[in-house]
Amino acid sequence: MSTKVKATKRPWDAGPVTYIALTILALISLFPFYWMIVISTRTNDAIADVPPPLLPGGRFATNVAHLFDNYEAHFAQGLINSAIVSTTVTLSVVFFSSLAGFAFAKLRFAGRNRLLLFIIGTMMVPIQLGLIPQYMLMVKLGWNNELQAVIVPFLVSGFGVFMMRQYADQAVSDELIEAARVDGCSTWRIYWNVVLPALRPAAAVLGLLTFMTTWNEFIWPFVVLNDPGNQTVQLSLRLLGTTYYNDFSLVFAGTAIATLPLLVVFVVFGRQIISGIMEGAVKA
Amino acid sequence: MGATTRRLAAVASVAVLALTGISACGDDEGGDGNVTLTVDVFGQFGYDELYRKFEASHPGVTIKERGTGANLSDYSPKLTQYLATNAGAGDIVAIEEGLLVQYKPQADKFENLLDHGAGDKKANFLDWKWDLGMADGKLMGLGTDVGGLAMCYRQDLFQKAGLPTNRDEVSKLWPTWDAYIATGERFKSAPDNGGASFVDGATNLFEAILKQNGASVGYTFYDKSNKLAVDSNPAVKQSWDTTMKMINAGLSANYQSWTDQWVAGFKQSKFATIACPAWMTGVIQGNAGDGLTGKWDIATVPGGGGNWGGSWLGVPKQGKNKKLAAELAIFLTSPEGQLGGWKAKGTLPSSPQALDDPSVKDATNAYFSGAPTGKIFAAGARNLKPLHYGPKNLAVQDQVLNASRTVEQKQRTPDQAWTQAVADAKKAAA
Amino acid sequence: MTAQITRGRHDRGSPDAAPQPPAPSRHRLTKIDLKFSPYIFISPFFIIFAIFGAFPLAYTLWVSLRKWDLLGGDGGFVGLDNYSAILKDSWFWNAVYNTFGIFLLATIPQILLALVTAYWLNKKLRARTAFRMGVLVPNVTSVAAVAIVFSQLFGRDFGLINWLIGFVGIDPIDWPAGRYSAWFAVATMVDWRWTGYHALILLAAMQAIPKDLYESASIDGASALRQFWQITVPLLRPTLLFSVIIATIGGLQLFTEPLLFNGSNNAILGGSLRQSQTVAMYLYEQGFTRFNFGYGAAIAWLLFLLIIIVSLANLVLVRRLAGGSKGAEQ
Repeated sequence: MSTKVKATKRPWDAGPVTYIALTILALISLFPFYWMIVISTRTNDAIADVPPPLLPGGRFATNVAHLFDNYEAHFAQGLINSAIVSTTVTLSVVFFSSLAGFAFAKLRFAGRNRLLLFIIGTMMVPIQLGLIPQYMLMVKLGWNNELQAVIVPFLVSGFGVFMMRQYADQAVSDELIEAARVDGCSTWRIYWNVVLPALRPAAAVLGLLTFMTTWNEFIWPFVVLNDPGNQTVQLSLRLLGTTYYNDFSLVFAGTAIATLPLLVVFVVFGRQIISGIMEGAVKA
Repeated sequence: MGATTRRLAAVASVAVLALTGISACGDDEGGDGNVTLTVDVFGQFGYDELYRKFEASHPGVTIKERGTGANLSDYSPKLTQYLATNAGAGDIVAIEEGLLVQYKPQADKFENLLDHGAGDKKANFLDWKWDLGMADGKLMGLGTDVGGLAMCYRQDLFQKAGLPTNRDEVSKLWPTWDAYIATGERFKSAPDNGGASFVDGATNLFEAILKQNGASVGYTFYDKSNKLAVDSNPAVKQSWDTTMKMINAGLSANYQSWTDQWVAGFKQSKFATIACPAWMTGVIQGNAGDGLTGKWDIATVPGGGGNWGGSWLGVPKQGKNKKLAAELAIFLTSPEGQLGGWKAKGTLPSSPQALDDPSVKDATNAYFSGAPTGKIFAAGARNLKPLHYGPKNLAVQDQVLNASRTVEQKQRTPDQAWTQAVADAKKAAA
Repeated sequence: MTAQITRGRHDRGSPDAAPQPPAPSRHRLTKIDLKFSPYIFISPFFIIFAIFGAFPLAYTLWVSLRKWDLLGGDGGFVGLDNYSAILKDSWFWNAVYNTFGIFLLATIPQILLALVTAYWLNKKLRARTAFRMGVLVPNVTSVAAVAIVFSQLFGRDFGLINWLIGFVGIDPIDWPAGRYSAWFAVATMVDWRWTGYHALILLAAMQAIPKDLYESASIDGASALRQFWQITVPLLRPTLLFSVIIATIGGLQLFTEPLLFNGSNNAILGGSLRQSQTVAMYLYEQGFTRFNFGYGAAIAWLLFLLIIIVSLANLVLVRRLAGGSKGAEQ
């Protein structure tokens, strides 16, 4: 079978088996996306064809137009809401995390280690534990069915603080901070002018991860945003999927459009996201 | 790093665009007389033309319908939540007969429609339909339709299978449910039946039989003192056994009603008959699509008559435009409104005036091969009696229907499934 | 999880910003600044967490001890009644069984496949980033999108998978109908979405293993497989543990995939037999379709307990399985 046998094959040299295996894996990873495109570019009846259609058709624009015409799914509103929510949460998480991460890494204050440990502890608590009282709280505040219900609780992130702390610890030298202090900079100015610029790579990764997580969030919006007129795009997708005039080409067009922003982000920033995940893992 | 910054700046500016885009979108409920009324429904009410009419006579009003085609199990918890949290409900909400009891304790969440001039409309409704809409002397909902039962069938498939196709002859094929099942067996063993099953599925058939059997005692899952009667009401077990017989005969196409597969099943001609209350004719037409015009027909239901379904319209207090909403609800339930629903989706009027109208009495339905729907449904409508439903009727029904599904899916034997149905129903009712 | 600080990367230490012009020294202000700034900087996290994280947690406990529903309101203190009722509730145990079933069915192949994928990715590859992106891309899709696409692929009548298995003579399967077929379908969705993520995490740890370890093993004549099990896996222990715990927390809270997989009718019940209803779905059913807040809150606490127990069990298990070597930490 093997065409070329190397005398000194080392374990980290990739043979054809590796390439084939990885290619198969990548194809499996990509197939559902491809299938999404195939169905979303065809008529609804195509789904019942035997054999199933394996190539994209030409009806994407028509299906998308139908999608936005569908009053019930409120798809456009869902996209706008998701953009608002994800952007706000991302900016806020990056800001507060870098601020707190800087404080934990570089400032001295009583209780620092214990507070940091507490934050790490919060990362372990499953969100569903608080689902019911959180909902009750939102009803009390009158925030159910309002976007702030899915924004405000997520403005900070324990993971973010921890990640920025780890990065700040090694990316910002103590001498630099001292020098800035000698120059008369306030702590805030040090953060803004010295620390934040140095944290930029990590902040970008944190921002990307936060954006994707928020965009994809399902269960909490599902609980708290009941008004179909004011939901996030993930809920619009579910509405599309469960309304009874079930039009697969329309549902898949919606799925494709809801996925597209993330795919663009992923293609553009893939390298950073990968390194972010890998570094995060080594640090945790 | 510079590239990253630029990309982030780009992301940020997109975000800003998205944010500013919203203000341009504006609010539906604006100041200058522009009002949007939302109507929450399930299934098919056939109100589209009536909406347009109301909009035409009320400039600046736009009416949107939500939930078209939804099933009750999805609709009901949402409505409960809307009412309890005072947010999210439509300006008008539809309440199905099986849910009415459940919402009556919350009558204070609804406008008293008597305050909106509905008092003089009493004569527009069958007595019981009006009375059931009352709670504590307040009018919580106005009746829409009633649900006389029939059996819809695919003429073309019957022909293929060598069965009679004429609706009177077909009606004669099944005076009883046993005869219906026997006909199904004939259909099944025919050399050519177009690859279709005889019945759409256990859930729809069970519900239809249950509504019919329940009529003898006047209730189904709950007795009239609101005690759970799943295992004590013989009507429930009888309906169950008939359904099991149908499944055992291999007649089911195995679809759970109101699922997307069921909807697709209509289009793909996967079954030849479906028990159809009047309102179901609109559902069939919508699901099966124009391509099957003239293929369906309507015969009488085995076992003789019954009432399944029918709804009321209520106006939740939480709405912003209650006065206008009440006006719309009165309009939609007026004889004229009920005629509109009948014409569009076959919902059988609960208004004596509408039932007497020639457009109902003498109606035929072209989609159903010109079946005399007036004769089939409207003639008996006055004699329909409401069934009594208990407080957690829907939750209990879900358990029993699911149990019937497990037999259809070959996960349980009928006996196992019945035991489970009773146990789960008790739990759900607790 | 032990928090470790990585080796610093000194090339990133220099800030872009120009130094600020010296400000007039205001000693007192500086003192206040030094003293309070750290607390101000970290306070947003604690304030928001207190309101929207800690308070609901404590409140869940409170609610779980009461009879409380959305419509009837607070029905008073009932002690542990909710808990004892749940422990006798066959629907709850059914949900626990499903949750564990799906969890095991998903996690074991997922971690193994991730391990092998990481091993492949760790080789000297052309188009390295492309392959890495290729395996990670499922992770960026939303669960809702994944569930919608896979539900269609697993469709009874027109699903691609039934069409494919038709070629090897298998009759179409009604995937959501059977317990194990439903588990399998849901587990497939989970694995598709998460295997690449775990592979990258394991890859990161693999890269930190010094290559000369393998070289000396090669000289000793150890096969590649032997090297993988005796060098790679033990050294990956902390990361494996991290992966398993992430998978546990996610797996035991599984909700969206089975919900959407069950389509439009009664989806929250997880099918006609509750064959794919997870604990999280049951929590939702009780809390938000039956509106039994007290009962739901008690389920939430039991779920938390389960997660802790399983995480601890994982800890022991991973120690055992990948045991032996100590120097796993980088």
